[in-house]
Amino acid sequence: MQRIRALVGKELLDLARNRTALVPVVLVTILTLAMAFFIAIAVPSMTGHALSEDTELLKLSRLIGAHETLSEDGQIELFFFQQFLMLFLVIPVTGAMALASHSVVGEKQARTLEPLLATPITTLELLVAKVLGALLPTLVISLTGLALYFAGIALFGESGVLRAMASARTAALVLLVAPAAALVSLQSAIVISSRVNDPRTAQQFGVMIIIPLSALLIAQFMGTVWLSAKALVLIGLGLVGAWMLLTLLSVAIFDRESILTRWR
Amino acid sequence: MIAARGLMRRFGSRVVVDDVSLDVGRSEIVALLGPNGAGKTTTLRMLAGLIAPTRGTVAIDGVQLTRATGALLRSRIGFLTEAPGLWDRLTVRENLRVYAGLYGLANHGPVIDRALDLFELADRASTRAAELSKGMRQKVALARALLHEPRILLLDEPTSGLDPEITRSVRALLDERRAAGCSILVSTHNLDEAERLADRVAVLHGRLLALDSPASLRQRLRTGRVIVRLAGDPAAHVDLARRFDPGASMDGDTIVLHLSNAERETPALISLLAADNAPIVEVRQEVPLLEDVYLHLLGDR
Repeated sequence: MQRIRALVGKELLDLARNRTALVPVVLVTILTLAMAFFIAIAVPSMTGHALSEDTELLKLSRLIGAHETLSEDGQIELFFFQQFLMLFLVIPVTGAMALASHSVVGEKQARTLEPLLATPITTLELLVAKVLGALLPTLVISLTGLALYFAGIALFGESGVLRAMASARTAALVLLVAPAAALVSLQSAIVISSRVNDPRTAQQFGVMIIIPLSALLIAQFMGTVWLSAKALVLIGLGLVGAWMLLTLLSVAIFDRESILTRWR
Repeated sequence: MIAARGLMRRFGSRVVVDDVSLDVGRSEIVALLGPNGAGKTTTLRMLAGLIAPTRGTVAIDGVQLTRATGALLRSRIGFLTEAPGLWDRLTVRENLRVYAGLYGLANHGPVIDRALDLFELADRASTRAAELSKGMRQKVALARALLHEPRILLLDEPTSGLDPEITRSVRALLDERRAAGCSILVSTHNLDEAERLADRVAVLHGRLLALDSPASLRQRLRTGRVIVRLAGDPAAHVDLARRFDPGASMDGDTIVLHLSNAERETPALISLLAADNAPIVEVRQEVPLLEDVYLHLLGDR
């Protein structure tokens, strides 16, 4: 545990000295925040047309279940905020992917990996520390954004929307799906990072994570898929299992010898 | 103590290290000499448990190095890699602090302070590694390798690129570590350094060509060439020298001859010349440099 703590400390310190690396994560969070409020609050206000005037939208919003205490506008806002919540929690991970993608291959390039591997650190400890080093700052940014998101809903949303947001579904998303998806993504990035010789290759592979995420989000917005709290819990548990398997896989395929001898 | 037996390492079809066996005892420094690509770094990496030998075994303090014992044994080894490998954005102290954590050192503040003092780095403790000179980076890397006070030191070109002053302090430090009972294996291109520092020298070129003390290695290449310098014309005395070597010749104020057994014949030669009132200024036996031995060994391949 001490070795993981030491290496995570190094990762955070390194990042603190290179804050620009976090700019994409912060920007994505801000843009996602802004997009949600722009669509749900600013557009109706600017056009003078209430959301509930769109009957299709109203029908779609009922997919998430009837909230009789909410007005029709409130129901549509709730639908949007629920949809954006998922986007908002998962998309910043794509920024963190860049950090994780760079983590092993970056050490290789800087020639800092060999002295590190010469210490008693085990492969599992090294990989867990690398994932945590990318995950922790992302989670801090995401949670800060989440606080702003709920504050924005409280300030600008229809009455009752904030209370309706405080649901089991939100809890499943925030506490389970988002961290688990982040772990799976970052662990994948670490696997890639330990198998390539160039950070650019790692990042290009990393960008592929956007494909399944986009498909899921588009399906949600089209009303094709609506993930209930129970479904989200199952997905979250599945992701945790996938992360565990991925961690075992990454330990198994982390080839210290190849990394050291084929890095030039 | 380090014990390597029959180490062989193949990369693809290329054999980089072949059948290398060597021991490094307590309080001993062994210098690993060899040209570029001779397998020095590969050998050090195998001994440090970073790469596995294709064949052969390594034991550290009697414990066989395996995947299962790797982490334990790495905690006993201080390994200086070819490149210092410091984290540039971290300060000197931060670099050492992370490694203190990785080596599981409790209460590492005083340990780091001691290392900084030892390497005269205290005034650079808050400097980021990126701002250090090459020599300073090497010193920090050495401090890092010694941080956990390992009994085994594997050092890949520790004085490469260092100025003479720092080089001397590094050598003094290795002397001090040897006196403290460490087993030290140093890879170097610097033959003078090997001669000054090492108890034994291993000449490697894929295979181990020689492993002996510098004096014994030099002894191997003795030519028996003896040079007698006289205060005056040697012509009057050269015939006496020719009793020992018919081919004895004169070169300025010297007589140069080759003796088949210089240790036994030189005293007799001097006695004879002295009896003949030859004004002897100097008698010396030509001793080859370690460099000559090294080049001779490599030339034999």
